[in-house]
Parts: sequence; structure tokens; C-alpha cells
Amino acid sequence: MSDTPLIGPYNPDDVLIWTQDGFRTASQFLSHVFFVAASLPDRPYVLNALDSRYDFLVGFAAAILRRQVTLLPQSRGPQTMRSIALGYPDSYCLTDPGQAVEGIDCIQFNPRIDGPSRPVDVPRVSESQVVAVAFTSGSTGRPTPNKKTWGALTAVAKATGLRLGVKPGDRLAVVATVPHQHMFGLEASVMLPLMHGLILHAGRPLFPGDIRQALSDVGAERLLVTTPLHIRACLQEKIRLPPLRLILSATAPLTKDIARAGERQFQTGIHEIYGFAEAGSVAERRTVRTDYWQTLDGVNVEECDSERRVRAWYLPAPVAFPDCITIAKTGRFLVHGRTADQVNVAGHRISLAELNRKLLEIEGVEDGAFVLPDDRPDRVTRLMAFVVAPGKTEAEIQAVLRTQLDPVFLPRPLVLLPRLPRNETGKLPREALLELVASIPDSYD
Amino acid sequence: MISEQSLLEQEVAKLVVQTLKLKIAPVAINPEQPLFGDGLGLDSIDALELSLAISQTYGYQLRSDDPDIKIIFSSLRALTKAIATHRTK
Repeated sequence: MSDTPLIGPYNPDDVLIWTQDGFRTASQFLSHVFFVAASLPDRPYVLNALDSRYDFLVGFAAAILRRQVTLLPQSRGPQTMRSIALGYPDSYCLTDPGQAVEGIDCIQFNPRIDGPSRPVDVPRVSESQVVAVAFTSGSTGRPTPNKKTWGALTAVAKATGLRLGVKPGDRLAVVATVPHQHMFGLEASVMLPLMHGLILHAGRPLFPGDIRQALSDVGAERLLVTTPLHIRACLQEKIRLPPLRLILSATAPLTKDIARAGERQFQTGIHEIYGFAEAGSVAERRTVRTDYWQTLDGVNVEECDSERRVRAWYLPAPVAFPDCITIAKTGRFLVHGRTADQVNVAGHRISLAELNRKLLEIEGVEDGAFVLPDDRPDRVTRLMAFVVAPGKTEAEIQAVLRTQLDPVFLPRPLVLLPRLPRNETGKLPREALLELVASIPDSYD
Repeated sequence: MISEQSLLEQEVAKLVVQTLKLKIAPVAINPEQPLFGDGLGLDSIDALELSLAISQTYGYQLRSDDPDIKIIFSSLRALTKAIATHRTK
């Protein structure tokens, strides 16, 4: 296999990224990468927990040069990080200065560049080199690793750019509200701009006012990478955003109503990406125009033994869809919702079986079940749990779950009951659980 | 020992509980206890939802680059104080 440059078509003095301390050029970035690469310990795996997108990217690129694989934690909660580190005893964690995760070897990132930047050749990376591992929660309880080669990441970046009409060398700036450690965040907020010579933004704006500020910071033509939740928030606040080339949304389906209102208020096209950690970005659609997803170039969807799968040259094997889909002609498909056991909370997937297993492992818990109530469009729906645990309090059970689960999966609320509505065969029909959900008042008045 | 909630704190506590669908009585929120992290254990999605509710109810738009943002979200008391200072309705 061939090798390709670490960064896209930047001249040495082109701005590569906006940071809180000002712009960084491509040559400043590369100097920083070489400086950090020389200081990394000699280990095969690195957990990159860095908060700034610039620091993350320097750490990621430095690891690639040292042929180290970057582990992408689903969240930066200590329990998530520890459970990943457990599977990679020869890993270390790259953290922000002053931050450390108990129980993991931590190296503090040096955000300072010592000395002036010097001209350096752009390094090349083999397409077959495994550069990252994204994790999904498998039914085994351990995070399931999904290896990402340099070829896969660059292919997805190029195919996404091609679909969105982004050309190499465009003076376009990418601002993103999504975390760069998340698979979609890595693809859309790091690899997409990096491979096309675009300007990145190091921040991760949260509130509508932050998003407007970040877009104003970059002062070029802009692309906003975000989620339905943030789009709805900006609409609700009736905020005016600086001119945008387009908005790219993922992690949850966007409704046509919000897409239409967003296109009107922000005067730009809103496109969605469909993907999942095992395969990366798979397809795109302009939400106001169609319900159908169109696969990215190089991606094929197929039906094989009643299983729907994604195939691409950069995937070592076909990957099954985590959602129920119908395939139409020429790479178009409809998504009907997740398969029964999978839930998605704010872009994080987990199986209900695993959640229930963790619940039942808690001492004193006799029976229990998690349920994801029916989604409210464009909002994050939280899990609920119904638990039989005589003598235990909600707080006691929550405290144990907090040490076991990513915070987005914590039940809200956790309801204690004398027994669960199991049927004669001992099964717990979803309808019965939804009736329970409906019986819980929304909140205290 | 839970310290007493002021009138506005009671109102904000109710807003927090209703917005985030928390399964606790608003009066049970200790005004000095952290809202995020180890206290109520809220996350950034909650922060965004809460900011929208505060903006709609009090006309105060939160910003992460506010140097006091960490203090504002540190407790019900601090949040209420910020709302009292910045509210436009």
C-alpha cells in the first residue's frame, strides 16, 4: 500500500488552526509535532485526553510519527479511561497540564513550542498503519476496539469533502461543537479539514453564544460541525450566526422541521452524516430534501443472509449496521431506528443487555431493567431504570453505577419498585416498561 | 445540615429540576452543593438545556468564555446569584 502526507495542501505559512493564543501556521504545527514526538515515551498505545483540538491534533500526529496507536476514549470520565487502559497495559495517557487520571500512567502534554519553528518536510504515513482505535460498548462489558488505519481515516475525509463540495485548498474554516475524541468528531472536525488544507478551530463551543463567537473568531468562510441538539439550541435562542458555507450534523437524526427552520434562520444548507464507530462515516443527506441516505464514494451497502452490511476497501471486513435499514437502489438507504438491543444517548451507543447486566451485578439488586423512553425529536432522551432492591436506596445504587458507566448512560430517574411487570415466561415486554415510564410524573412540581 | 434556599433559589431549583427531569424535590437541592461533577452529577448536555431554560425564563444568555462560568455553575446559590445580576426579565 502507498503512503500519503500527514497534512493536506498547506503552504508552510498557511494558517492551519485558530487557538485561544492566536493562529498557528502549518510549519508551526509541524515543528510542534516533531518536538512532542521526540518527547513521547516508547510505548505502543496512547490515550489522548487533551481538551483543546490543537493539542489533541499535535498529540495524535506525534503518536503517528512514533508509530503509536491513539486510543479514543468514548468519554473522558475516569472510569471509561481506566476500563480502556485495563485492556492496554502498555499504554499511557496524554493529559492536559495539572490533570491526571488515577490508576493510569499519565504524561502531561507540553502546549509550549520551544524555539522558533523551522521548515520541515511534511512526513508521509503508510495507508496500512493503524493510527487509532475507537471503542464501542460490546455485550461483553469490555469496550470493543475498532482499529482505524490511516487509509480509512483519509479515505473518509476525502469522500466527505467530495460529497460536500469542499475542495483541497479552499480557505474554509471548520468550527465544531463535537468532541474530537468521538469518531464523528475525529472525522469531521479534524481529518476533514486537515486533509483539505482548511482552517481548524481548537475550541469546542457549547452554548449558542459560544458557537457564534467561535464562528466569528475564524473570519473566513465557515463550516459548522455540530449536532441536532446544538442546532435546536441556536434556533431557540434566535441567534444570528456569521455567514456559513454549510452545517454538518450527526450523532442523532435531525427532524425535517428543525432542518427547515435551521436552513431558513442560518441561510445555509444543513447536511447530515450517518455513521457508526465500527465503519466511520457511511452516508450523507440534505435533510430538507430527502429521507434517503446516499453512501459516500467508496462505500457499498449490501444485504447478506438477511444482514445489512457496509463494505469499503479500507475496512478489513464488512460491518453490520447497528440500525434497521432498507436498501434502495444505487447506494441509497432508509434508517428506521436502532436494532432492539442498542440504545444511543447523545451519540454514545451501548447495549441494553450490558446495562442490565451491570445493574444486576450490584449487591442487593434483585431485579432491574434499563429502558430508553421513545425519543423526543432533536432532544437528548435519557435512560431510565426500574429496580427491585429491598433495603437499598436510589442514591446507593446510583453511586455504584457511577463507578461503572459513562455518565450519559446513568438512569434518570432510577425508580425503585417492589417488582417488575414480568409476564408468565419471565420476559419483560417493552410495552410494559413503557407503561411504567408513562406512570412516572415528569418531575416534581 | 442543609442551608435554607432563598425565594429566587427556590424558583431556580424548580427550573433545574423541571428542565432536567431530575427525580428529586427542588427543596432537596442543597444550595451549596455542586450542580455538576460529584453533586447532582450533571453533564454538558444538561448545561446546554439549562442555559436555554435560563435564557427563556430570565433573558440571561450564558457563555462558556465568561471567566466566572465555573463559579456560576458551581452551585445553586452561585447560579442564582448570577441570574439575579444579569436577568433582563
